[in-house]
Amino acid sequence: MSLTPQVLTVKNLSTIFDTPAGPLAAVGGVSFDLNQNETLGIVGESGSGKTVLSRTVMGLQPRTNVAVSGSVLLNGFEVVGASDVEKRKIWGLQVAMIFQDPMTTLNPVMRIGRQIDEILRVRLGMDRQTAKARAIELLELVGMPSPAERYHVFPGQLSGGMRQRVVIATALAGSPQLLLADEPTTGLDVTIQAQILNLLDEIKERLKMSVVLITHDLGVVATRTSRLIVMYAGRIVEMGSTREVFANHRMPYTRALLDGSPKVSNPSHTRLLAIPGRPPNLLNLPPGCSFAPRCAYATDRCHHERPELQPASAPGHTFACWNPLPTSRRASA
Amino acid sequence: MSNSYFVDELVEESTTQTTPERKKRLGVLFWICVVWLALNVLGAIFANVLPLQDPLYQNYSIINAGPSLHHLFGTDDLGRDIFSRIVFGSRVSIEVSLGSLLIGFGIGAPLGMLAAYRRGKFDSLLTTFMYMFLAFPAIIATIAVLSFWTPRSLLKIIIVVGVASIPLVYRVIRTATMNIATKDYVIAAKVQGATDWRIMGRELLPNVAPIGVSFLLIGIASVITLEGSLAFLGLSVNPPTPSWGNMINESRTILQQNPWLAIFPSLALCLFLLCLNFIGDRLRSHFEVTEGKL
Amino acid sequence: MLMGIIIVITVGAFYLIHLLPGDPAVIILGTGDSPANKAKLYAQLGLNKPIYEQYFVWMKNILHGNLGTSFISETPVWTTIKGAIPIDLELMVISQILAFAAAIPLAMRSAKKPDGPLDRVLSAGSFTLLSIPAFIAIVLLVLFVAIDLGVPHTGPSSYVSLGSDWIGNLESLALPSFVLALGSFVVYYRVLRSDLIATLQEEFITMARSKGISQRRIMWRHALRPSSVALLGTAGVNIGGLLAGGFIVQYLLDIPGLGYTLISAIGYSDYLVVQGIVLVVAVGVILINFTFDFIINIVDPRISRE
Repeated sequence: MSLTPQVLTVKNLSTIFDTPAGPLAAVGGVSFDLNQNETLGIVGESGSGKTVLSRTVMGLQPRTNVAVSGSVLLNGFEVVGASDVEKRKIWGLQVAMIFQDPMTTLNPVMRIGRQIDEILRVRLGMDRQTAKARAIELLELVGMPSPAERYHVFPGQLSGGMRQRVVIATALAGSPQLLLADEPTTGLDVTIQAQILNLLDEIKERLKMSVVLITHDLGVVATRTSRLIVMYAGRIVEMGSTREVFANHRMPYTRALLDGSPKVSNPSHTRLLAIPGRPPNLLNLPPGCSFAPRCAYATDRCHHERPELQPASAPGHTFACWNPLPTSRRASA
Repeated sequence: MSNSYFVDELVEESTTQTTPERKKRLGVLFWICVVWLALNVLGAIFANVLPLQDPLYQNYSIINAGPSLHHLFGTDDLGRDIFSRIVFGSRVSIEVSLGSLLIGFGIGAPLGMLAAYRRGKFDSLLTTFMYMFLAFPAIIATIAVLSFWTPRSLLKIIIVVGVASIPLVYRVIRTATMNIATKDYVIAAKVQGATDWRIMGRELLPNVAPIGVSFLLIGIASVITLEGSLAFLGLSVNPPTPSWGNMINESRTILQQNPWLAIFPSLALCLFLLCLNFIGDRLRSHFEVTEGKL
Repeated sequence: MLMGIIIVITVGAFYLIHLLPGDPAVIILGTGDSPANKAKLYAQLGLNKPIYEQYFVWMKNILHGNLGTSFISETPVWTTIKGAIPIDLELMVISQILAFAAAIPLAMRSAKKPDGPLDRVLSAGSFTLLSIPAFIAIVLLVLFVAIDLGVPHTGPSSYVSLGSDWIGNLESLALPSFVLALGSFVVYYRVLRSDLIATLQEEFITMARSKGISQRRIMWRHALRPSSVALLGTAGVNIGGLLAGGFIVQYLLDIPGLGYTLISAIGYSDYLVVQGIVLVVAVGVILINFTFDFIINIVDPRISRE
C-alpha cells in the first residue's frame, strides 16, 4: 500500500433499495481506497451501480426505503450511518460532487453567480462582496469568458459546456479535497467533452485534489485516471492501475467493454463487438457470477458460484473470475 | 370556493402522454361516494312515490320541531317536514346542474373541438368572441340577468347558467383538443388520408373525453354551489318550491330557534359536493398517464 | 391588448344593462303614469337616442370620471362606488395575507414528508373544505361561533370603518376575512404542495444538498421559487374571483363592499350603479390578472423565454 494518506476508504459497501417488487441490491460488497492526488476511474454500463455507488459514498442516497451497510471513511469521517446534520458538515467543504446533466443540476431560476458563492456566504460566512469576487475568480478558473458579466446570468442563457463549467465552479467553491465526478461529460458534445475533461485535469493538479471519475466511456478513463475499477451488476469485477487493466485485463467483461469501444488505431470498418444478451435484472440476479449468462468463457462453476476478487500478477490488480483470460503482455488499447 | 383553478392544470396533466404507471385502485371510498350520489339521484327521480311527507304541507302545530320519528329531520318554521323537503330539493340541484351543463357542453364542446381542429378564421373569430365573454365576471352577469328577468322559473335559471357556462366549456375543450391535435399520432392519421370527421371521432374524442368528464363533474359541483348562492339573493326557484339553497337561506333568520333547518340541508349539499369532488379526483388519478420519472 | 379587452368590457357592461328587461322610466315614475310623462322623461334622460349614441355619450362621461348619477339615490354613481372600494381592498389584503401565511409553511412541511401524518390530515381536511361552499361556511360559522360567542355578525352595517376605530374595524372584518382566507388557503395549499413535491425531486435540489445547505434554506431559497408559478397563477384568478364573487360573504355579513352595493343596487333596480360596478369589477379583474402575469415573469424567467 502507498504511504500517502488515504482520502477515501470504502469497505464492503452495500446499498439495497426496498422496492415494491422486492429488495434491489444496487451496490454489493464494494471495497476500494483512494489516495491523495489520485484520480480513480469507475467504469460500467448503465445499471452497473456506479451512480448509486457515488451517491452512497457521498451519503446522498435517498433517505427512505434504502439500507446501506459497510463503511465509508472520508478523511476519517464515517459516512455510513451519519445523520444529515453531520454529513452536511463535510458536504461541499471536504467532498463535492459533479452531476451528469448540467441543465438539471443548476437551479434554473437562480443566477449562476449566486449559486456559486452560496456555499461561501452560507457555510463560510463570507460577506457578499468577498464571496462575489471569489466566485468570479472561480469562473475564470473554469474558463468562462467575461466572468464578471456572466456572474449575473441564468443557467438557461448558457450553452451545455458553459453550464458544466459553472457546475464545476460551484463544486470547487468550498475548496473540497475530494471530487466525485459522475458522468461529467456524458450529456455534452464530443468536442466539449475533451475541453471539460482537460479542465478537470488542470484543476485537479492546481488544487491538489483527489478525483473519482465515473463514466461508461472507456476512452475517457484511458489517459486520465491512474487507477480503474470495473463494475458490473453492482459489484467490482476488476480493479487495478489503469495501464495494467487495459493491457492485462483478466475478466472477460473488461475485454468485452474494451472491444466494444471504437479505437482510432483500428482499421476502418472494424465491426464493434456488442455484448450479447441483456443487462442483468438486479431484482433477480442469477446465482454465481452475474456476467455468466452473457460470457463467452463461462464454465459450470461460473454459473453456480460467485467469484470473489483475487489478486493478479501486478500489485494492486485484482479481478473476480473463475475462468480468467490468460496473462500476456498485450499492447495497450 | 371556486374550483376553476383545476381547469388548466387538468387539461395539461391529462394530455401529457408518456408511459402509464401502475393504475391506482379506485378504492372503497370511491364506491361509497358513487352509491351516495346514486341514492340522491334516485331519491330525486322517485320522490313522488317514496313514502315521504308532503313537502309543501304546513303544519302549524309543530313548527321548528327537532328530529323525531315522524319528522326525521324536524320541521321548519312553517311546519313543513325538512326531510322530505331535502329529498325534493335535490331535484332542483340536480336539474339545474344537469340542465345547464347540457347546454354548456352541448354547445361549447363541439364548438371548442371544431375550432381547435380547424383553426383558421373560424377559430380566431369564435375564440376572440368567447374570450371576450370569459373576461367578464360571469357571476355578476348571471345575477344581473336573473334579477331583472322576472318572473323566475327553473327553466330560466337553467338557461342563464347554461349559456353563461358556454365560454368556459369552450375554452377547456378547445385547449385540450389543441394539445392533442398537435400530437404525432393525429398528424399521422391525417397523412394517411383520414377524413376530418374520422379523426375527430377516433383520435380526438376519446382523448378529450376524460378531461371532459372531469370538468363535467367539477362543473356540476360549481353549478350546485351557484344555485345555493343565488338562493341567498332570492334568485333561485320561488318558494314554496324546496331547494337546498332556499332552505339554507330561510334558516338564516331563525338560526337560534331552529338550527336543524341550517344543518341538514347544509349536510346534504356538502356531502353531495364532497362525493362529486372525490369521484372526480379519483377518476383523474386512475386514468391519468403520469410523466415517468427517471 | 389590454386596451382592447377593456373596451370590449365596457361595451359588454353597457349592453348587458340595456338588454335587460325593465324600463327605467317605469322604475322611476312608477307604473300607471301617463305616456306623455314617460316620453318627456325619456328625452330628459337621453334615452330616446339610438343605442350606439348613448354608448358614446356614456363612454365620454366615463373618461371624464363621470359615471352618471343614480336615478334612485340621486347621488353620483362614482361616490357610491368609491366608498365601497377600500373595504374590498382591505378584505382582500387581510384574507390573502392569512391564506399565504398559512399555506406556504404548511405546504413546505407536507412536501418534505409526503403522506406523513401532517400531510394526510391537511389533505383530507382541505379536500373537505373545498366541498363546502362559502355561504354554508358562513351560516354554520355564524351558528356555532357567533351565536355562542357573541361576535357581532348581523344588523345593518356592522362594519366599522378604519378611520374611525381600527380595532372595531378589524373585529368587524374578522369573520369575513377568515372565511375568504380559508377558501383561498385550501386552494393555495394544494397547488403549492404538489408543485413543491415535484420540484424537490429535481437534480438541482440534490446538488444544493451536496453543498451542505440546510433543509430550511433549500426549501425557501431553492425550491419555493420554481414551484411558485402555478401558485401565483391561481392567486391571480382567485383574487380576481374574490373581487367579483366575494359578494356572498359581504352580503351575509353586512360588509358594504362592492359586492354588497351591487346586490342592493340590483334590488333597487338602480341600473346605473349596477353598470358602474360591473365596469369597475371587470376592469379590476383584468388589471389583477395582468399584474400577476407580470409577477410570474419576474419570479420565473423561464416562462418568457419559452
